[in-house]
Amino acid sequence: MFRYMRLHKIFIKQDLKKLMEYKVDFLLGAVGFLLEQAVQIFCLGIIFASIPALVYRENGVVQDSWIFNEVLFIYGFSLIPKGIDHLFFDNLWGLGYWIVDKGDFDKYLTRPVYSWFYVLCEKFCVDALGEIIVGVALIIYSTLTMPMEVASAINWWRVLPVLAVMPFCIMIFTSVKTATAAISFWTKRSGHITHMCYMTNDFAKYPAKIYNVFVKTVITYILPFALTAYYPAIFILRGESWWSLPVTVLVSVVLFAVSQFIWNKGISSYESAGS
Amino acid sequence: MKSDIMIQVRNLKKEFKKAIKEPGLKGSFKALFKPEYEIVKAVDDISFDVKRGEIIGFIGPNGAGKSTVIKMLTGILTPTSGECRIDGKIPTENRKDYVKEIGVVFGQRTQLWWDLALRETYMVLKEIYEIPEEDYKERMAFLNQVLELDDFITSPVRTLSLGQRMRADIAASLLHNPKVLFLDEPTIGLDVVVKDNIRKAIQKISEESGTTVILTTHDLEDIELLCKRIVMIDKGKKVFDGELSELRRRYGQMRELGFELRNVDDIAKLTYKEDFAFSDDDLSIERSGSNVKVRFNSDVVSVEKMLSYTLSKVHVKDVNCKDADIEEIIRRLYLGGGEAQ
Repeated sequence: MFRYMRLHKIFIKQDLKKLMEYKVDFLLGAVGFLLEQAVQIFCLGIIFASIPALVYRENGVVQDSWIFNEVLFIYGFSLIPKGIDHLFFDNLWGLGYWIVDKGDFDKYLTRPVYSWFYVLCEKFCVDALGEIIVGVALIIYSTLTMPMEVASAINWWRVLPVLAVMPFCIMIFTSVKTATAAISFWTKRSGHITHMCYMTNDFAKYPAKIYNVFVKTVITYILPFALTAYYPAIFILRGESWWSLPVTVLVSVVLFAVSQFIWNKGISSYESAGS
Repeated sequence: MKSDIMIQVRNLKKEFKKAIKEPGLKGSFKALFKPEYEIVKAVDDISFDVKRGEIIGFIGPNGAGKSTVIKMLTGILTPTSGECRIDGKIPTENRKDYVKEIGVVFGQRTQLWWDLALRETYMVLKEIYEIPEEDYKERMAFLNQVLELDDFITSPVRTLSLGQRMRADIAASLLHNPKVLFLDEPTIGLDVVVKDNIRKAIQKISEESGTTVILTTHDLEDIELLCKRIVMIDKGKKVFDGELSELRRRYGQMRELGFELRNVDDIAKLTYKEDFAFSDDDLSIERSGSNVKVRFNSDVVSVEKMLSYTLSKVHVKDVNCKDADIEEIIRRLYLGGGEAQ
């Protein structure tokens, strides 16, 4: 474990050196990401400019509602575990799109390092810092501009247990990517499957209650991105759904185990490519 | 006591499931909804041993299954059945320990970090293989001397020439002083001088470090200069396993008769095939202008008969006769397939 952390540090250093070699590429990537986030937040702003709050009704009776600042807070929070996963473990995308298909996975199997870890740490994705910065900025902005009655519900002590669960939230992202990327060992390519599953995290940026049972179950237990965004965020805001924290630990551990199982099964089905 | 055998391969098999597709977009669509598969036997029941410190040449035509065997030996592919042991270890079990004892070079694919200076690759590998600082320095000095890396060790890998990159790749695979080195087409695409340097380096490394080397190549000069023993496979089966000299003795009855015609039209008079009843395998004629090369099996017709026949039919300016080289023997074996054994 200690050795792996040291190795990871070395890889990150190498990647930073690489970054210095391709500065323009990095700058364009950063600008692109900021634009993308700006557009999304702008859209949220437009929607909330015409409606006062997001309201959830059951049989016509208002059950719950969230004002713009709260939605912004959840949105900002969702970017943090996502961004950290993106920062450290981005290389899994490559696996499903080309590494397996082109036979480049060979090299990961001929090194005395666990192949999954080797793939994981080979790329350090600095672009993700944008995601994390935007996330933190949104959280700060949304709390500062909150109406008194909403702000007073926040208990900042609740941040501590959420921070403790944060590694498990990150693990949810990494495990979903691992499991879906590993499908490529059988199908040669699985990038689009990873993309599809990964994109369900967009649902999780909004209160889980507004969705029907199916979507809610999927984003809580199967592709449990709601556990990385809505639940911990609303726990900080209102102290609601405290149960989601232990569930996050449990679900993420199970998901991780499943993803490792698929990975190791997949390796023995890996067929390389002709040379 | 350490066994004398480094690599032991027993009844190794690898099958791939291959989707049958009809040509064109229509075929692709059909395959999408109703896929049909066939089993392709890439490696079919191969066994052989390699001794400690030996350099063996692993040859065969394209698609014979050479790379598949190498990939099973290096733990990249899992065998369908059978087993291979390297120094007693099974590649796919406990992979992390196993790969410390082997070095791998795939000529078509670099293992170096593309965007970084070459030196950085070695630094990272030092960490990956946990090589102690002292061993690293010593090893680096040795590899530097054998492969002459100094000229380009600070350049980014993407700027290296193919020859430099191959030397760098070989050095990278040897940094951790492996017991076995797998070289998959190490001289592919290189010019004569670089090829020669690389061969010398491989020989030197094998001599000085006692490394066992498995070499696949299409360049038979590699084999003649480096390997005493060859294993040849074709269509997934082993067709020859033995010393090079043995191959030459067994299949070396091919001779090449070369001559220059005084009158180019005379070629029509030379009807070897009809007059001597050669089979297709035993005779080939190559002609460029007035120069003719006739390769024939001297077991079927003696050199003397061929020569007197030729001289009685046509006038020649010049004539020579020589043993067919190893390339010719291999070519015949490739064409003949399994019949060689």
